[in-house]
Amino acid sequence: MEILRAEHVSYSYQTKYQKVDAVKDVSCAFEQGGFYAIIGESGSGKSTFLSLLAGLDVPSEGNIYVQGQPLDRMDRDAYRLNQASVVYQSFHLFPLLTALENVMLPMEFKKIRKKEASVRAEKLLKRVGLGERIFRQFPKMMSGGEQQRVAIARAVAAGGDIILADEPTGNLDSDNEQKIVALLKELAHEDGYTVIVITHNQGVAAQTDHVFRMSDGKLEQVR
Amino acid sequence: MIIKNSIRQLRRMKGRTCLFLLLLLLASGLFSLGRGFQAINRRNMEAYEDSFMTIGTVEQKADTVQEILDWDAGIKAYRIYSRSAYDSYVPLSVLDFEGAEYLSGPEKRVFYGAYNPEYVMYEGGLSSTIIVEATPLEDVVPDHPVKLKLTRVLMGPSDLWEGLSIIFCNHYDPDPEMLYAGKTYIMSLQNRPGHENEKQFSEDNKMEYAPWPVLQSDQVGPEGEALRDEVEDGDFYDEVTEGFYETRRGKRWMELLGTWDYTNHIFPVTGTDNIHLIMAFYNGDAWISSGREFTDEEYENGEKVCLIGEKFARANGLETGDSIRLPFLYANHRSSAGSRFGSSGLGVTPLLNTKGECYPVFEDSSYTIVGMYSGNTGFKDAYMLGHNEILIPSRSVKNSDADNIVAWGPMLGSTTSFQIKNGTIKDYLEKWNRQGIDNVEITFYDGGYTQLEAGMENMKQISRILVVMGLVLILMVLLYFTWLFIIRQGERTAVERCLGLSKRKCFLSLFTGIFLLTACGSAAGCAAGNLLSRQIAGGIGPASYYDTSYSNGTVSRTEAEQTDADDGFPVWDTVWNAAGILLAGSLISGAGIWLNLRAEPMDMLGRREE
Repeated sequence: MEILRAEHVSYSYQTKYQKVDAVKDVSCAFEQGGFYAIIGESGSGKSTFLSLLAGLDVPSEGNIYVQGQPLDRMDRDAYRLNQASVVYQSFHLFPLLTALENVMLPMEFKKIRKKEASVRAEKLLKRVGLGERIFRQFPKMMSGGEQQRVAIARAVAAGGDIILADEPTGNLDSDNEQKIVALLKELAHEDGYTVIVITHNQGVAAQTDHVFRMSDGKLEQVR
Repeated sequence: MIIKNSIRQLRRMKGRTCLFLLLLLLASGLFSLGRGFQAINRRNMEAYEDSFMTIGTVEQKADTVQEILDWDAGIKAYRIYSRSAYDSYVPLSVLDFEGAEYLSGPEKRVFYGAYNPEYVMYEGGLSSTIIVEATPLEDVVPDHPVKLKLTRVLMGPSDLWEGLSIIFCNHYDPDPEMLYAGKTYIMSLQNRPGHENEKQFSEDNKMEYAPWPVLQSDQVGPEGEALRDEVEDGDFYDEVTEGFYETRRGKRWMELLGTWDYTNHIFPVTGTDNIHLIMAFYNGDAWISSGREFTDEEYENGEKVCLIGEKFARANGLETGDSIRLPFLYANHRSSAGSRFGSSGLGVTPLLNTKGECYPVFEDSSYTIVGMYSGNTGFKDAYMLGHNEILIPSRSVKNSDADNIVAWGPMLGSTTSFQIKNGTIKDYLEKWNRQGIDNVEITFYDGGYTQLEAGMENMKQISRILVVMGLVLILMVLLYFTWLFIIRQGERTAVERCLGLSKRKCFLSLFTGIFLLTACGSAAGCAAGNLLSRQIAGGIGPASYYDTSYSNGTVSRTEAEQTDADDGFPVWDTVWNAAGILLAGSLISGAGIWLNLRAEPMDMLGRREE
C-alpha cells in the first residue's frame, strides 16, 4: 500500500549570495513496510528532500501526499507527531533526559499517561536491543550506537508508521552500523514501518529494498 | 506536561539554575534596594514639602544715611541719630519680573488703626500723654526744668488736678520761647525721666514733662507724597487768650482733645494674603491655637473674616464665630503693627489730618472671628505681632484708604514678603539678579530646607546608582541566561519541532521554566531589597541620613507621619518591582525563543547544506 508520494516536488531557497535549487521536480512513491535508501553525494539535496518528506519544509512546487492526502492541507506538526518520525546522524537526543525519558517524550507530547508511557518506552528500548542498564543513563554516558538505538526507539515511540533516517549510521563504527541497519530493516519488514534512509554509504544502501539516487536535486530510482 | 518537561530540564542543570537564581536575586535586590530608597526619599520629600515653606522678605536699601540732630536740654547738647533716607520708594511691582514664580505673590502689608471703644485694648489705658492748660510761676525760658502750675487738666490721669505744680522743660528745643507768668498756655505733654544732675527740684525731680508733638498731622497722600500741614515743627504749645478756642488753632486743640481717648481703644488690624508670610507665624512666634486659618477662598474673595489673639479674646469675652466691628480710622503703609503696638505702651499716632480734623472712618464693617492665635506679641519688635493685633484677608478692605494714610515708607523685611516653591531659591535669585536692581535686598528663609534637600539629593544619587546598577545587572543576567537557557537550546527546539511539537508548545516548553525562575528570583530579590532599604533607612534615621542641623524642629514634626508610613511590609512596592523584572525577563526570553522558532529546524540542526 502506498503511504507516501512525492509529485513533481521542487524546492529552492535563498542563501546570502544565491538562490539554490536543492530539489528539482522529484516524483516518487513509498510503500508501507518498505525499506528505502536515498543515496547521493554531499550537497545533492537528499537531506532537503527528507525534510520535505518530514513536513519540516514546504515544497516550492509540487506536493507530497500522505496516504493520498496532500501534506500542505494537513497539520504538519500533527503529521510528525503521529505519522512520521525523523532519526539523525547526530542522534539529537535531549542531553538532560535519560534514555527512558527521551523515549517517553513523544508520548508525553501526545498526552499519554506517564505510567503507560514508561512501560511502552521500556519495551521499545528492549525492542531496539538496549538493556535496563541504559534506561536511567543520560546520552553522554552512552556509546554512539546506543544513542542511535535510543533515537530510533524515540522515533518509533510516537506510534507513527514512517521513519525518516538521515545518515543514521554516519557516526557509527561498522559493527554498530550493521546493527542499526538490521534494526531498521526489522522495523520495516516485521513491524510494517516505512523506513527511508538517507545515506551515502553503498553498503547500507545495498541492504535496503529500494534505492534512489539523488544528483543535483534530481531523483532517479536505481533499484 | 510541557511545563513539567521544562522544569525537569532546568532541574537537571542545577548549577546553572542556582547561579541564575542567585545572580538574579542579587541584581533584583540591588535594584529593589535603590527603588526602596527612592520611595522612602520621595515619601520623606512629600512629608517635608508639607512641613517646609520658603519665604523671601524684601527690604529697600537706604540711598543715604541722614544724621538727625536732636537737642537734649538735659545735656545741653545735640544728640545725633542716624536715619535711613530714600530718594524714592521702589514699588512692589519690581518683584513681578519675568520668570518669577510665586506660591504666594509679594505683598507689602498695611496695618489699619481700628477704633472701637467697646473693646478693651489696654486695661486702664496706657497713654502717658496729657493735655493741660498751665501757667509759669515766673517769666522763664524753659530750657531747663521749670515749675508750671496747672490751671486746667483737659486730658490726663486722675492724679493731676488744677493747682498742681508740675516740672516742665522744653527738652527738645535748643532755643525755646519765653513763657510769661500770668499767661496761660495749652500744651500736650509727655512725662519722661528727669534731668540728670538736676537737683533744683529735689522733692519731685524724678519725672518731668516735655512737649509732645501730636498737634501736627502726619498725613501723607495716596502715593506716599508728603502733605503740607499748617502746624509747623516746634509749635508745641499755644497761649490761651480770650476766644482762643474759636480760632483755627484753638479748634484743632479741641479736635485733638475729642480724639484723645481713641488712643486707648485703637487696635491694629493687618491685611495679608497669607498669614505665613508674616514672620511671627513663619518662625513659630505665633500660631493658630483655636479655630482655623483663612481658607484660599476667603483670601481670594476678601471675605470679612479675622483672626484675633487669645489674650484679646479673653479680655473682651470673644469666641470663635463671634463678630467684631472694625471701623478703620487710618492706614499705616510704612511700619508693621509689631513695631508700633507694644503691650506696655504704644507709639501714639496723631489722629488729625492736615485739615486739623480727626480722620473719618473710611470703612466700618463686621468681621467674623474664624480662629485665634497665641504666641509672643507686643514686644514692639517689627518682626513680631503687635499687641492685640488682628489679622484679616487684605482683599476684605473694600474702600480706599487714600485720605487716611498716616505713614508711608519703603518695602521692609517686616512688611514685605512672598512665598516661592521649596528648593527654588537659587533659581529665583539668578532671575532676580538679572533685573539689575541693586537697592532692594531679598532675604530667604526656608527653615533648613536647602540643607535637607542637599542631603536628599545625595540619597537620590545613591538610589539612582543602585537602581541603574541593579538594572544593568538584571539585564546582563537575563541576557546571559537567555542565551544559556534558550539560544543555546536551539537544538532542543529543533528536535522538539521534529518530534511534532507545535511552535506554540515549543515556546511554552522553553519559556515556562525561565519564567518561573525569573519570578522566584525577582520576587525574593525585590522583597529582600525592599526590606533592606527600610532597615537601613530606619537604622540610620533621618537625622544622620540627611543633614538636619537647620531643621530639627521641622523634621521632628514629620517623624510621626514617617514612622506610620514605614510600618508593614511594602507588598506593593515588591510586587511592582518584581513584576517589572518579570516583564523584562519575559520579553528578553520571549525574544530569544522567537529567534529560535524563526529558524527552520533543518537549519538549526545544520542539515541544510546537505
